[in-house]
Amino acid sequence: MSQPTPPSAATNPSPAPAPKPATVKIQVDGREVEADPKQPLIRACHDNGVDVPMYCYHPGLTPVGSCRICQVEVAGAPGQPSRVVAACRTPVSPGMVVQTDTPKAHETRRECLEFLLKNHPLDCPICDKAGECDLQDYSFNEGQGKGRSSEPRRKLEKRKSLGDVIVLDEERCILCSRCVRFFQDVTHKPQLTVSGLGSRSTIATFGDKPLTGNYQGNLADICPVGALTLKPFRFQARVWNLSKSLSTCAECSRGCSITVEALRGKEVKRFRPRYNPQVNQYWMCDTGRFAYAPVTEQLAPAGSALGGRLAGAAVRGYNGLELAEVESALSEVADILAAHPNPLVLISPFATQQEGEAVRELCAALGVRARFVSPAPSALKDDLLNTGDPCPNRRGLSELGFEPIEAAAAHTELAQAHAALLVGERIQELLDVAELAKLPASLRLIVFDVRAHDLAALDVAVGVPTHVEKSGQWLNVDGHVGVLNVAVPPPAGVGPLERTLRELRAALAPSAATH
Amino acid sequence: MVIVQRKALSLAERLYLPEIFRGLSITFSKFFEKPITRQYPEEPLPTDEVTRGQPRLVVKDDGAIACVSCGMCEVACPAYAITIDGGETDRPIEREPVRFEIDMLRCILCGFCEEACPKDAIFMSNELELADTTRRGLIYDLEKLKRPKAALQPRIDYVYRINKRWRSKQP
Ligand code: SF4
Ligand code: SF4
Ligand code: SF4
Ligand code: SF4
Ligand code: FES
Repeated sequence: MSQPTPPSAATNPSPAPAPKPATVKIQVDGREVEADPKQPLIRACHDNGVDVPMYCYHPGLTPVGSCRICQVEVAGAPGQPSRVVAACRTPVSPGMVVQTDTPKAHETRRECLEFLLKNHPLDCPICDKAGECDLQDYSFNEGQGKGRSSEPRRKLEKRKSLGDVIVLDEERCILCSRCVRFFQDVTHKPQLTVSGLGSRSTIATFGDKPLTGNYQGNLADICPVGALTLKPFRFQARVWNLSKSLSTCAECSRGCSITVEALRGKEVKRFRPRYNPQVNQYWMCDTGRFAYAPVTEQLAPAGSALGGRLAGAAVRGYNGLELAEVESALSEVADILAAHPNPLVLISPFATQQEGEAVRELCAALGVRARFVSPAPSALKDDLLNTGDPCPNRRGLSELGFEPIEAAAAHTELAQAHAALLVGERIQELLDVAELAKLPASLRLIVFDVRAHDLAALDVAVGVPTHVEKSGQWLNVDGHVGVLNVAVPPPAGVGPLERTLRELRAALAPSAATH
Repeated sequence: MVIVQRKALSLAERLYLPEIFRGLSITFSKFFEKPITRQYPEEPLPTDEVTRGQPRLVVKDDGAIACVSCGMCEVACPAYAITIDGGETDRPIEREPVRFEIDMLRCILCGFCEEACPKDAIFMSNELELADTTRRGLIYDLEKLKRPKAALQPRIDYVYRINKRWRSKQP
């Protein structure tokens, strides 16, 4: 079912509760409920836990009432027969008496489903939507297992590319027009339309041009059937094999609420937006949606510290970087810090609040101040969601008292430092690995990052979890809390960064005492 | 405490030789009867289409695998023996398995996978023997599971006959 799950207060605490709209009283399935008269009847039903099917209606789009699957029975005026109405196009009026579960309502729905299924291919075994398909679910619910038509089904194009992100299967489309309205209502740049007449109608782009924009991926989410599918996700997984964890997108400071979906709980296959009225509504941008390459990186080859995720830690020995136990790497770090007081400490803007606090404690012990690396704004800024600021926790780290530092300034300071700590996911990439490689070997460089790079200055590298492997919190640009949860386990030997930092502080204590 | 008083044996009972001869006479008389044991593995058990041996994947007459990696057998399998990863193919069916593994050590030969398959792609063969020196070797991959359709045809006909499949005619 694609009904939006209302975010729970625990996962999305709202700073300012929205003012309660004036409500009217209506009766749904014999129960008196409060309903917002500005919303269609279907919302009143859903908000009160009454399931009414829908295809063309989407809470984030203008209702058009074209599919008729949402029909419910509304009692007429006294002495009048009851009427069957489309719940998504019927406004709530005071005193309405609505029945969703009557034979008449079911019959109209069944009829409407029969027409939809008349030309629908028997594709479920090869369809990526199977398992989360509204057509499957409602057909199953209404329970008409056999078709009555003996005509052949229509044949249309099954693999029509609509640009870099989306593939259209014209046979599966039920012409609900959600995708058409998405571009009209959300991005305000219409790109799709229904072309052709009658049973030959299909969804098409204007002039058959490929789709553009950074929000195309949302089409695959809102399409109630498997007509619009994501190219990168095509045939990658059956949806029932995906474990879902609540999380937050890492690609900009908007911090869209997402679910991280991992195949058999191990391999991240999909990021999907999750309804959050204060942050991203129902949507997310494609930059964030397809940013799972950084979190699906392979481990470094066995016995090596380079060429992939760092499982555990690495210390520079006589033969270059050698794998080491985290504990011995941390005591090595403690020795370096004892010999070189006042190191330069830079943290990644991907650090969570909890990691930020651990860094603050460590810095207090070292007597230095850390700053967070602030990369240049990206060109992705738009007026919908993407803020163009690639720092998911800029707001949170600023509130913790960290100052930002530009990459160029950071390099100047690194060149002058004796010892430096770079802490947090992707910090080396944010500072530009090629630039870091130019640092002299005399600098004692200590890195806490997901991978070790072959840097001349690097002395110790300690592996950290990616943002889908840890729990914590970020604050988005407006101060809303974004939660992170462990969606896939981190590689063996990699623990939470805040714990590693506290262990380092404990390792520091004796050497600090002796100096 | 209970003290059990054993009965003293009589002379006839103490003379055990008659009983020995009685037992041996049964043994020797069996020498001249038709043996009922089977010299497995030289003499294998007969199998037919009812035999529910290890599941195998159908390779159609055009050489393509019939499986579309829909995952129905994976879900149906009560022993969690099946693991499938799908991928895209240029054939009109669009989808095919890139990884299809059955852990034969887990498989309990129940036949649920055969029943679940919407594509007539997996059937219980008459292969029953299973031996290897490693556990990994007993996780059968695509190559080890593929069988030409002709080899499985008796079973396919049988399944259609007894199950009244949703599609009464074979494709
Ligand atoms: S869109 Fe739904 S009903 Fe149609 S083939 Fe896909 S899963 Fe099946
Ligand atoms: S492609 Fe999907 S969203 Fe668009 S009209 Fe067809 S069914 Fe609806
Ligand atoms: S026969 Fe039964 S146990 Fe074996 S793979 Fe098929 S469903 Fe699983
Ligand atoms: S049920 Fe049939 S088609 Fe589907 S994955 Fe299993 S063998 Fe393949
Ligand atoms: S959901 Fe109401 S008519 Fe389509």
